[in-house]
Amino acid sequence: MTTICQIDRVSKWYGPVIGLNDVSLQIRPGITGLVGHNGAGKSTLIKLMTGELLPTLGEVRIRGLRARSAGAKRFLGHCPDVDAFYEEMSGRRFVRTMARLHGFGRREAGERTEVVLAQVGMTDRADRPLATYSKGMRQRIKLAQALVHDPELIVLDEPLNGVDPVGRGELIGLFRTLRDRGKAILVSSHLLDEMDTLADRILFICRGRILASGSLAEIRTMLDDHPSQIRINTTQARQLGTHLLALDLVQAVELKDDGELLLHVQRVHEFFGQLAEVVTRSGIDIERLRVIDASTQAVFDYLMNSFNHPR
Amino acid sequence: MSFEPTRYRDWSGTLRPTWLACWPIARTGLLLVLRRKIFWGLLALGLLNFLFVFATIYLKAQVAAQNPALSRFVNRVLSSVTGSGETYRDFMFAQGTVTVLLLALAGAMLVGDDLRQGGLAFYLSRRMTRFHYVVGKLLSIGLLVALTTTVPALILFIEYGLLSNSTAYFRENLGILRGILGYGLILSVTLSLLLFAMASWLRKTVPLVMGWTCLFVLVPALAALLRRVFDDRKWMLLMLWRDIRLLGTWCFGGIDSDREQQLLAPAAVIVAVVCLLSIIAFIPRIRAARVVQ
Repeated sequence: MTTICQIDRVSKWYGPVIGLNDVSLQIRPGITGLVGHNGAGKSTLIKLMTGELLPTLGEVRIRGLRARSAGAKRFLGHCPDVDAFYEEMSGRRFVRTMARLHGFGRREAGERTEVVLAQVGMTDRADRPLATYSKGMRQRIKLAQALVHDPELIVLDEPLNGVDPVGRGELIGLFRTLRDRGKAILVSSHLLDEMDTLADRILFICRGRILASGSLAEIRTMLDDHPSQIRINTTQARQLGTHLLALDLVQAVELKDDGELLLHVQRVHEFFGQLAEVVTRSGIDIERLRVIDASTQAVFDYLMNSFNHPR
Repeated sequence: MSFEPTRYRDWSGTLRPTWLACWPIARTGLLLVLRRKIFWGLLALGLLNFLFVFATIYLKAQVAAQNPALSRFVNRVLSSVTGSGETYRDFMFAQGTVTVLLLALAGAMLVGDDLRQGGLAFYLSRRMTRFHYVVGKLLSIGLLVALTTTVPALILFIEYGLLSNSTAYFRENLGILRGILGYGLILSVTLSLLLFAMASWLRKTVPLVMGWTCLFVLVPALAALLRRVFDDRKWMLLMLWRDIRLLGTWCFGGIDSDREQQLLAPAAVIVAVVCLLSIIAFIPRIRAARVVQ
């Protein structure tokens, strides 16, 4: 898969404070989530990618061009988390101005503006001054200006902030459509629940370092210190528990009062294969099965715990 | 209000050259100023002065054509409007004073807010660099200055020429045209660089107005005091506004006295140094980060 953004051994110092520490990564088509606490380095990474900041060491390239160059911006769409608009301006004029700044002629800028306003559902409200917009409407306009030049790399800083649940679902749908069209989307968000379903790949960042990157399942599997917790509801809990204890991948089995089994297992995908065999062989019915700590939040907590308390 | 991802359309085509991005920035800045009522008040003040001179030129021309006897009286009463270089210089100077007030109030909106509220992120994510952003912003300030000083002066010059019923006025007074353009250029360049530098540091309207007041009121007052105490005219060079006017007078070819002639070169150096210092001052504010390696 083509690499759209290449970050090569990048460090960024703010005086004596390090914002980003020797980070290397590649952004490819698909949705990449960027997760980290406040001050972890998310904003620094985004600003380096958008050319707002220069790295102290290393290099950021978009499509082979230095991120700070005007040429690289052709491929970049940025939806910043700031709400610093010209409040007197209408949404339509704002997006059109951004298109003009990008190098579109008057007519083409107008056409592209209408296309993206329709995409974000703002066509009918775009003539109102920005000062009258709600937070969610501002997010939509910001997204529209980021998409107006059809970029290959779309960097979205907290794009779901202030958007109502219905809007969030629609927004996630739009991101998926863009992904299906081969766009690379980097989404920074503190809404980790959304990341579970949204991101193909997640970057966990802490104190300026990338703690882990990959799909959630891949990262979860790598966390050997934290066996996955699986809840199984069955009418024959004791019998199933006995069978499962015999498996090497199962570290512990807890039998709950309500006939529920809580398993601590390693290499969860491999375990599912073995579980299927056990169930088929013993003829036990499973009513419900849930992996309870494979969410972005759980993985993030484990990673943070490992980082803060290394063995 | 729902998203329509299915309507997404890819775009492929040729974009215009990057440097053309400066124009939308300048235009946006101008439009922002024109949208606020407070600025309309100041612009109206400038317009009043313009209309007065415009009407005076018209009145003098009409009276001269219809009643030459009355013309002498009118010329004596309205002696400030003669169609000479001085007329335009004084007009531009008066307009410039209103413009300086306008810039003090508009600086935060034109430049400061971008840096204070992070609006620069929108610009820098476009197909342009910081250089284009700076040029665009300077252009918007410069255009504002030109629209309130140079353009009205040019209109008056054309009016005077047209009402003289002969093209001789234009042919004989090309020096005035050069003066209007030269003085206008000095005003635009100096004020735009100075405002950009001050707004990039002070950012909010109140500090900016205070800084602007220091530069154009307190420092000249101090200069006048020092001149009186030390009895040395060179202290007058601290008055930036006066230095610009002196250069403007030179553009109109109107420096007659030796004393003014002696101050011309130092005044030019001071204006150039102010411009240079302004550039040096705003570069780190725009660059945001320094390359260590």
